[in-house]
Amino acid sequence: MSGALEGTLVIEVAERPAGEYTAKLLAELGAQVIKIERPGGAPTRMMGPHKDGQSAVFGFFNTGKKSLVLDLAKPADRATLDGLLARAQVLIDDHDEAWGAAHGLTSSGVAAAHPHLVHCIITPFGQGAPQEWQMAQPINVINAGGWAYHSPTEAKEDKPPLKGAGRFLPDYEAGIDAATCVMASLHRQRRTGTGQLIDISEIEVQINRIDCVLDRLLAGDVEPSRERTAYDMGGPATCFACKDGHVYLFMTTQGHWQALGNLMGNPGWFGQFKPDWLEFHCTKDRVDEFRTLFRPWIASQDKLAITEAAQKAGLAMVPINTAADLPKNEQFIHRGFFQEVAGLMYPGLPFRMSASPPRITAPAPLLGEGI
Amino acid sequence: MPQPEPTLPNRGGPLAGIRVLEITKVWAGPYAGKILAALGAEVIKVESATNLDEMRAYGGVDINSAPYFVSINQEILSVQVNMKTDEGLELVRQMVAKSDIVVDNIRPGAMERSKLDYEHLKEIKPDIIQCSIKMWGTDGPLGYQTGYAPCFAALSGLTNLVGYEGETPEGMNIRYGDATAGAWAALACIAALNHRDRTGEGQFIDHSAVESMTALVGDSLFAYALTGEVPKSDGNFHPEICPHGAYPCADGEWISIAAADEVEWLSLCRVLEAGSLAADPRYAALARRLENRHALDAALGALTSTHNAGALAEALRHAGVPAFRSQSSIDLCGDDWLWGREGFRMVSDHKNGSRPIIGPSWRMEPDMAKVERGAPLLGEHNDYVYREVLGLSQERLEDLVARKVVE
Repeated sequence: MSGALEGTLVIEVAERPAGEYTAKLLAELGAQVIKIERPGGAPTRMMGPHKDGQSAVFGFFNTGKKSLVLDLAKPADRATLDGLLARAQVLIDDHDEAWGAAHGLTSSGVAAAHPHLVHCIITPFGQGAPQEWQMAQPINVINAGGWAYHSPTEAKEDKPPLKGAGRFLPDYEAGIDAATCVMASLHRQRRTGTGQLIDISEIEVQINRIDCVLDRLLAGDVEPSRERTAYDMGGPATCFACKDGHVYLFMTTQGHWQALGNLMGNPGWFGQFKPDWLEFHCTKDRVDEFRTLFRPWIASQDKLAITEAAQKAGLAMVPINTAADLPKNEQFIHRGFFQEVAGLMYPGLPFRMSASPPRITAPAPLLGEGI
Repeated sequence: MPQPEPTLPNRGGPLAGIRVLEITKVWAGPYAGKILAALGAEVIKVESATNLDEMRAYGGVDINSAPYFVSINQEILSVQVNMKTDEGLELVRQMVAKSDIVVDNIRPGAMERSKLDYEHLKEIKPDIIQCSIKMWGTDGPLGYQTGYAPCFAALSGLTNLVGYEGETPEGMNIRYGDATAGAWAALACIAALNHRDRTGEGQFIDHSAVESMTALVGDSLFAYALTGEVPKSDGNFHPEICPHGAYPCADGEWISIAAADEVEWLSLCRVLEAGSLAADPRYAALARRLENRHALDAALGALTSTHNAGALAEALRHAGVPAFRSQSSIDLCGDDWLWGREGFRMVSDHKNGSRPIIGPSWRMEPDMAKVERGAPLLGEHNDYVYREVLGLSQERLEDLVARKVVE
């Protein structure tokens, strides 16, 4: 079976995880991706951790691509790029406008020279933003976009906003929207023969992912505030330490409360709470009291055994899985989420496709490999 | 001569001409529909007064102006069908026959019981694309489970990586995850559309909300595969950028700062008038700053705490140091840049005339699809769907309404 984007040629001049992830997604869906690297290699090759000289960051974000080294300041190399763009369908970039101007890759210049091309540019704040904004690192993007300020849930006034999981959460989110738009535009290109400029703003991806919470504040349905907890839902849901790791407990109903009681053998202190307290008497004091009483018990439980028993009892208590847990998880194994390539396990895409299954075709290229 | 019914406005966009049937509730599924609509697809949401999307009920009493619902469902069409009747299901099948894509996020087994699973849908329309969004996907040992977005995040590996160093992980805000799951679903549908363009073949997309979150920590999981070191929640630590964090400012505000190299580090010290930090041998190179980063973070926090976050961030950016105020929801609501770029924009609203919404994250030139109409009334597009799309007579539609097949 072939990939969904079989026969599509993508040229990537991106040098950050945002653009690299966009093109990686297209590669996994069947496109041929040629990554243009500066002499000496992409900046992400320098990002650790490294093993035997291989960067985990570059190694992950560049699977299935070919590498071509070009010095875009040299006319001959720049002409090579134009030759590639003439026969490609897509160009992926994630530099600011000054870089585009310096390398003859402005949006208007590309549209004039290659009107058939789908040209996607991903920047922190979108085209037209002040130049000095566009050097933002992912931590600046996630702070500018509100998720950091409002994370974790029940954020404390004296604890800093958080950057999210890993270093690149906003890059992933932007890459999803970028790849989505590129593929929509490819559908259009097939009908019209013409391309489009796709201008992705990373901060707008951030605010889009909180639409039905933030928009109610924006529209005045809920009073906006400076509260760190403005996105929260209330209730006792949180993470707890157990014997061999952590679990997450989510409870909102009387049924959940009964299920927890049954799971714990209905300890005496349950009598301090009304059966329907989660629905009608869920104050912060009661939540704190519950957690204080629950913590010693859950601390003595095994992560997998207790969460499996909880699921069977109708309680949404789940293990907080680690990177080491996932490749061993029976459901991830069943779905084939991890794919082995050249002896290493790579996380794949979060969906299976019956006719054009996504696939990592090769590890990230060595510098200049594959052309 | 009777005039034809007024058709829908031509909104343009790359997915113009594509019809999507959305059988979804709450957040993830409707979010997928929203993205497809924002790209120009005609998205028809199948609804029923007796089996409402909970979002029409939360936080309000009027199902036609419920804040959660109208925050998401821009440019969505609403058709009423009672799917608990055989006749209603037959109408849905007729809609499938006229659609390109079906998106659903109904609980495991329900689509099969209604004979709306892929095996049945492809008998109706051989090249149909169906995307089913489920907690764990459609089958497998845990496929029976249902849950909530923060549970997906915990299971996915994402929650474990968010929190303060040395503490119990806390995860992203509890709201994180549903929208991303929907975004992945939209991506998968459009990938399948490309496959259909090329081969004529439809397909089934089996989407996992848990994996939607796992995908977002791919590099951390791959780093584990490569090095054998299990990553943990690490505050704002970055192994190659230091300082890298959020620092307190005046009036309870925070500023994010990332100084990636020596030039940026020295510029940061200059703006903060921190000559003593610049000269301190503990901070003389990246490796030294990383070793002493807790002391450095404390020293920087003491310096930033008297500054206005927005003004300091601007001064730092002009000095070449990546910095931005950590924006609260109220900061975002008043953000001139977002309003100016139509990151926030106005759409029509049945109750108040207009309503601000959060626009698409992209601009396209040319042929950006118009996003102008707010969320639909329940059944607002019954006439369009039944009369124009399915070609039923007015009498037949009135009969279906009278017998509560359309309700």
